[in-house]
Amino acid sequence: MDTARARRADLLDPATIAALGRIEIVARWIVDGFLSGLHRSPRKGFSVEFAEHRPYQSGDDLRYVDWKIAARADRWVVKQYEEETNLRATIVLDVSRSMAWRGDAARLTKLAYAERLVAAMALLLLRQRDAVGLVRFDDLVRTSLAPRVRSGQWQRIVAALDDPGAGHASHAAAALEQAWRLIPRRGLVVIVSDLLMDADEILSQVRALRHAGHQLVVLHVLDPAELDLPAAGDALFFDPESGAEVPAASADVRGAYRATVTAALQEWRQSLAAAGAAYETVVTDAPFGVPLRRVFATRQRMP
Amino acid sequence: MIEFLTPLWLVAAAAAAIPLFIHLLRRRTGTRVEFPAVRYLARAEREHSRNLKLRNLLLMLLRVAAIVCIATAAARPLIRVAGSGHAPTAMAIVLDNSLSSAAIAAGRPVLEELRAVAGAVASRAAVTDRLWLITADGTVHGGTPAAVAQAISHTEPLAGAGDVEGAAVRAASLVGGSGLAEREVAIMTDGQATTWSAPITLGQARVQVYRSRQAAPRNAAVVEAEALPSRWTPRGAVRARVLTPDSAAFRITIDGRTLARGTAVKDQEVLVRASPAERGWSTGTVEVEPDELRGDDVRYFAAWIGPAPAIRVSAALGRFATIAIEALVQADRATLGADVTFSPADEATTLPALLVAPSDPVHIGAANRALARLDIPWRFGDLRRGESSVQSTSRDDSTFKDVNVVLRYRLAGSAPVATDTLAVTAGEPWIVGGPGYVLVASPLAPDATSLPIRAAFVPWLAEMFSQRLGREAGTIVNATPGAMLARPAGVDALELSEGQRQAITGDSVAAPDKPGVYSFLTGGVRAGALVVNPEPAESDLRRLSPQALASRIRATSVRSGEDSTAVRAHVFDSAPRRPLVLPLLLLAVVALVAESTLTGRSRGGT
Repeated sequence: MDTARARRADLLDPATIAALGRIEIVARWIVDGFLSGLHRSPRKGFSVEFAEHRPYQSGDDLRYVDWKIAARADRWVVKQYEEETNLRATIVLDVSRSMAWRGDAARLTKLAYAERLVAAMALLLLRQRDAVGLVRFDDLVRTSLAPRVRSGQWQRIVAALDDPGAGHASHAAAALEQAWRLIPRRGLVVIVSDLLMDADEILSQVRALRHAGHQLVVLHVLDPAELDLPAAGDALFFDPESGAEVPAASADVRGAYRATVTAALQEWRQSLAAAGAAYETVVTDAPFGVPLRRVFATRQRMP
Repeated sequence: MIEFLTPLWLVAAAAAAIPLFIHLLRRRTGTRVEFPAVRYLARAEREHSRNLKLRNLLLMLLRVAAIVCIATAAARPLIRVAGSGHAPTAMAIVLDNSLSSAAIAAGRPVLEELRAVAGAVASRAAVTDRLWLITADGTVHGGTPAAVAQAISHTEPLAGAGDVEGAAVRAASLVGGSGLAEREVAIMTDGQATTWSAPITLGQARVQVYRSRQAAPRNAAVVEAEALPSRWTPRGAVRARVLTPDSAAFRITIDGRTLARGTAVKDQEVLVRASPAERGWSTGTVEVEPDELRGDDVRYFAAWIGPAPAIRVSAALGRFATIAIEALVQADRATLGADVTFSPADEATTLPALLVAPSDPVHIGAANRALARLDIPWRFGDLRRGESSVQSTSRDDSTFKDVNVVLRYRLAGSAPVATDTLAVTAGEPWIVGGPGYVLVASPLAPDATSLPIRAAFVPWLAEMFSQRLGREAGTIVNATPGAMLARPAGVDALELSEGQRQAITGDSVAAPDKPGVYSFLTGGVRAGALVVNPEPAESDLRRLSPQALASRIRATSVRSGEDSTAVRAHVFDSAPRRPLVLPLLLLAVVALVAESTLTGRSRGGT
């Protein structure tokens, strides 16, 4: 079992798995690994139409084993279904300059991590026949792909991840407004951002989306060094986006910084919960399966 | 008070500026670090600024304290701990027992007051101290406090001034060589101005001076007594001077017999002429009425008294010489006899003799032969004519004033000695003298020299016959009590009192401590006199103020006063010293541990 877990890409170190191939390949490995780890089919509860058989894998729900074939041919196969869905999901990705940062060269930048996570989420949703769209933003809306379920949508999403970004600000309000326009019916909006922006700017849009009946999931991407101030001695810390500078002795201020970050995350959690959005922190040294599972769980709770 | 054994290490305390410097400059660092979550950092500093500032200040103080403690410990500090006795101290008590301390002030001797204060100082000494008593005569008593206290109680006044300043210097030397860190000199003195006339340096010692609180009494003293000349034949004179605020009655004695009485006024020299009947060495005194200081009320002098010299006068000398001798005889300054010859040189056959050049040049050859027979190293040379003045070789001798020479013989000495020349003219010896002879290079005639017709001629003859050509009586040496003297030539003993003799073997001899007249002996025969009197300055009892007294002493610290209680309180006031190295190192460790804890806490979390 441990060996099987070790081979699952969604549980590997993000930097390690990212180094193995291009983003679409890595995303497929992640999704495959993720799906293989589910004990129940993701399709449960949906209106489905039989599509094909596939060999039984450990963790598959026994209800979908084709017992006739098992009795006839003495091998276990699982029935797979073509499904129909009414879910439209839009992933809103923050590509501002603060996302292109990592506290350690051995880790992925927040943006690289988020892009692979977005690709994996999109693939996972598309495999469930959900329509998936993408909005990339920094100080502008850089990419806007309307949710589609047709083939080729995932490739378009992956290609869009290569579009320019790294602006000097994060204007999430415009991006969320664009997402609202892309999914006029109720749907799912997944925001992937480091949330280094003013809370009021995003909360008003979140409330509006919730008011329109959308489900919202906010994935707060954090580098571990942002949770625990990097050991830089006496230094002048500057924000690559705003250019703001703060002189500090990291050893002296680390304790206070940790307390502040903890409080800030708690504030995000409370304010987003009050606005009706699910909130998860995603640390860039955590395997992709962790945030993926949380998004999947949210998806599963939706009709 | 803190002292340091190796104070140079205190320079290392300057390193304490390093954390201070870092603390002040830490916000000016040039290292820039990209960090997107700066807003959280700014918020953390904003929300925790008070705690952060306090913490940083505390850290800086702990680091500074650690460095200062280590540097100070390296300097090996010692702290004085009050209230636990006193540190082992080398204490030298200088007790001024000079003659002036014998003065009666307020009904008791000043020395008694000084002894009481010195005893109180000694009583404060502990067994760990080193204690000495040094008196004005330089005597040192050391030992236990009890032994020194006993020596103090037995100290008597000296007959002279002693050397109080020398005793103080000796005291400083003793405490300086004691090996103890605490060194004190306590001086008990009457503060006599003549004693403390010049500044003295006592080096690395704390000096406590007690000056007698009693006012100096009025004092009348005999400060000068001298026989003039020292050889009376038998006429002589006594010169005296009395120190008195106004006037004082005096008495002059010879061998206990009153010679004269009178009243002396301030700064007046008294001169009393006498022709006593005594013969040989006599002891004289000049006395004033007893007063508060008895030691200087009597002053001694010595004189040799003998008969008038008997002179044999040659008729060849001429009438001026004859008349002069007749005048001396009439005045009892001389008699006619055969003790001393007064003649032209060519007639001389015996010594002593006053010889003059023969009036006829023909007799020069005979004169030189006579000089040769008498072993006189001078000879008459060429005849010199021409007027020239005469000068005495003695500085204050006015005998030859206005005396001219017209005719003379050049005197040539075979082994002349400079001191033999009594008078010169034209740069050449004119009157010379030696053992038993006086030789004049001109005839005593007005056509040769004006000397016979000058008023000074007769007194000069008397001086020559009585002092120069008289029988050798010996020398008189004046000294102060206890002074060291060079031994007079030929003297082998000193007669202290009747029948008590002290052999003199070295080149020097110590004068007796008691004033008086003592006899020098050569082969058991009296060969001179030693006159011992106190220093005249010791009779001047004027005192310095305690402040002026302190200004005369240079030492680590000088405290001067006339309060015996204060003196007793301030001696042995050095508290014992304890090393501070260990407490400082412990303090440094505590500071470093606290700093480490504080730093670790901030790194470990909130």
